Amino acid sequence: MAIYETEVLIIGGGIAGAAIARGLSKYKADVTLVEKGMDFGQGITKSSSTIVNQGSNVIKFRPEYHNSRLVWAGRPLMEPLCRELQVPYQKIGSLTLFKNQAGMRHPKKMLQKFEEWSGKYMPQAEPLQLIDRETLHSWEPNINKEFIGAVYDPNIAVIDPVRLTIALAENARQNGILTMLETEVLDIWHQADRFAVETNKGTINCRYIINAAGEYVVKIAQKVNADDFALYPVKSYMAVLDQKVGNLVNHMVTMEEHGTINPTVYGNLFFGTSPGSQRLGKIHDHATDKKIADAAFEHARQLVPAISERDIINSWVGFIMYRNFEVGWHECSVGVSRWLPRFINASIGFPGICAAPAAAREMIGLLAREGLKLEQNPDFQPFRKAPPVFNELSDDEKRELMAKDQRYGHIVCRCETVTEGEIVAAIKNGARSLDGVKFRCRPGMGRCHGGFCGPKIIKILARELGISEEEVTKKGGQSRYLLHKSKELLEVE
Amino acid sequence: MKLEDIDVAVIGAGPAGMAAAIRAKETGAENVVIIERDALLGGLLHQCIHNGFGLLYFGENLTGPEYSYRFAEKLMDTGVKPLPDTMVLKVSGEREITAVNSRDGLFTLKPKSIVLAMGCRERSRGGINIPGTRPAGVLTAGTAQRLVNIEGFVPGNKIVILGTGDIGMIMARRLTLEGAQVKGVVEILPYVGGLIRNEVQCLHDFQIPVLLQHTITQIHGEDRIEAVTIAALDARQRPIAGTERKIECDTLLLSVGLIPENELSTMAGVKLDPLTGGAVVNEMRQTNISGIFAGGNVLHVHDLVDNVSWESELAGENAAKFAQGRKIPEEQITLKPGRNIKYVLPQVISGENDATLYMRVKEPEKNVKIKVGDIMSSLTIMGVKPSTMVKVEVSAAELQKYEGKEIVVDCQVKGG
Repeated sequence: MAIYETEVLIIGGGIAGAAIARGLSKYKADVTLVEKGMDFGQGITKSSSTIVNQGSNVIKFRPEYHNSRLVWAGRPLMEPLCRELQVPYQKIGSLTLFKNQAGMRHPKKMLQKFEEWSGKYMPQAEPLQLIDRETLHSWEPNINKEFIGAVYDPNIAVIDPVRLTIALAENARQNGILTMLETEVLDIWHQADRFAVETNKGTINCRYIINAAGEYVVKIAQKVNADDFALYPVKSYMAVLDQKVGNLVNHMVTMEEHGTINPTVYGNLFFGTSPGSQRLGKIHDHATDKKIADAAFEHARQLVPAISERDIINSWVGFIMYRNFEVGWHECSVGVSRWLPRFINASIGFPGICAAPAAAREMIGLLAREGLKLEQNPDFQPFRKAPPVFNELSDDEKRELMAKDQRYGHIVCRCETVTEGEIVAAIKNGARSLDGVKFRCRPGMGRCHGGFCGPKIIKILARELGISEEEVTKKGGQSRYLLHKSKELLEVE
Repeated sequence: MKLEDIDVAVIGAGPAGMAAAIRAKETGAENVVIIERDALLGGLLHQCIHNGFGLLYFGENLTGPEYSYRFAEKLMDTGVKPLPDTMVLKVSGEREITAVNSRDGLFTLKPKSIVLAMGCRERSRGGINIPGTRPAGVLTAGTAQRLVNIEGFVPGNKIVILGTGDIGMIMARRLTLEGAQVKGVVEILPYVGGLIRNEVQCLHDFQIPVLLQHTITQIHGEDRIEAVTIAALDARQRPIAGTERKIECDTLLLSVGLIPENELSTMAGVKLDPLTGGAVVNEMRQTNISGIFAGGNVLHVHDLVDNVSWESELAGENAAKFAQGRKIPEEQITLKPGRNIKYVLPQVISGENDATLYMRVKEPEKNVKIKVGDIMSSLTIMGVKPSTMVKVEVSAAELQKYEGKEIVVDCQVKGG
């Protein structure tokens, strides 16, 4: 078995691990990131909502919550980060709705607390506004007519969490961080000032560990008795709907237990249940449940009566790690293990995507405090050139691109208008499975859900990776897509 | 031929598009182009290697590729210009088509008239919202058909099929012939959804278990599907507690309905009928947008390809007439589905032409007749099923006598 030496080992390639890897790539540190999946951001990150810049709903956020402080600190960082990495970021604003004067209590408290706290914690945030009935329904003609007003938060934006995570990891790699996919941590040994981390790819010796294993953060910490905290996985229900209903709402609309509905950066409609309707789950149990789904849609119809299950493209379980039940969904666990120096647990909590940039900054501070020498990396390149997205280009840009590479004239995915050129670029950038391609450039994200383009992408993956079509997987592991060759099952053994 | 002076442009070269293009040419349109995203003409017929095609149209029992070949040959003979490997990105209400391919790059066409013939796609797992995990091995029956019949792969060994659409039943037989074990076909309704001949020849003849009034309540497996839970349904289609059982499988095929592919139509401002999922058309198959016609499964999902061809010929013929500047009569009468009728197509008629009305019933019934308002009644039909389209001819003479603005079409039980 191979033996690797590194200074800092990051376990987990979700938003937290990728953000810290990218943050550390600004310094001349010897850093390795391991991810057990076939790609980055395929765990909690993949299942999370698309909303960022939360925190102005001060009812749910409090200065005493670590997660709230990270979200507040991270708010001004998100837009520039997305710009540097060339991933989509779209400010849509949110509307917290209410139906009657009694329901006004919550918005009033929101406005009041925002006044009180924004100066201190959110200096750059635009103020919240109370919106009257007429304005509300002119902005959102499809919401339930019973709503009499809303609190408008102009700060709320949407992003693509997986694309951001992949971009962070790619940029980290470009700046000298070693990333190892399909590398699962099996055991961790602690000896004097070193850790020996046993993986399926060999042993990795390191001095510092960042445990950003998401859903498995406790399991990893337990391997070396650094689990000085408990986490409870909580399930929620999420769905993405066809672009043809993407304009049912223009803002993120929400009301307490009814969840949130918002347009995504790709013009789909996204729907997710709120923490109020979540329930305790089990690690590794990602199955959706009919009761939860039905209840969720019942709630969604309270917000937007025209929303329909018929338009679902995909639905899934959102995973949140509760710090504990007393503190609830707000809290997270970012810190050096009380029992083990140089071992940092990084469970960034919910909302995690917005917390990640500030959490990365904080973890770098913790590493320094634990003794890691941080010297600026003079070659750090913050800008990542994203591969071209055919559908987003102007006609002239499309022509220019096709003139350079004919494969940009060959549309493989008809629902999302994705070209062979983009798929090949995604594979060159690290996609190795159908999901890897799908999350990078979107073929199969559309309404036919890969029915037409799936077989074509398998062919392109096999060709570009130099493997057989039967070896192509949906998401690594045992997820092969084609189990047999034609007539193979008829052969007599 | 220059791409500037096109008379008729047909989008899609499946059975609908080919029939429309040929007929447009035969009607006298000078320059007819047919735009196809695949390399070959024929669309999904290539993967339909079973027989049963053309029994009505040709009076012969053909396979899908054979049926396609007859049209493709005729298309080339009549001088229709094919644009293969070309994807249409946009259609405007002013009949401007934006398309792209690797040979010509991005280009626009401005034909005098357009026939929409994009066909349909299969409903996927999202649209029916099956609970459970999201492993590999859950695919639509049509995707499996392409994999087996064209790509040369068998998706799995232990198969469960949800839905008794025709492609699902055909794949049950096809995969059995490939040596895979089809463990069962699960159907929500109390009857099979597809054609009777497929039920008999694909399921019964191969002793494939059919579980009517059942559904899949859970999908299991993290990486690859490992099992499904099925349950019996009560009269209101709710799972009956205690009837759940787990069936091990490595593949789940979905044959749960087809959806007309109308994203381009919508871009052009074509009005859709929520009952068919396709455009609202008149008896000439013209949409609400002047000069834009439609035919085949893009309009409504057909039972037989023969009907697709006939309908699309109508669209092609009138698209050619429009391109020649001939007058297309205006719609005067709206057709409304009445008792046990799911939809009627065309939805509007001028009353000046003979009209063939296509419809589907909601529920199976025996000994019925179709009543077209006060105008006419059909002779007794032995039985109607949602899977089989009902066709009724109404003559111009009868329609011209009619003075109302709306006709309700009913399916009436004889003596009832």
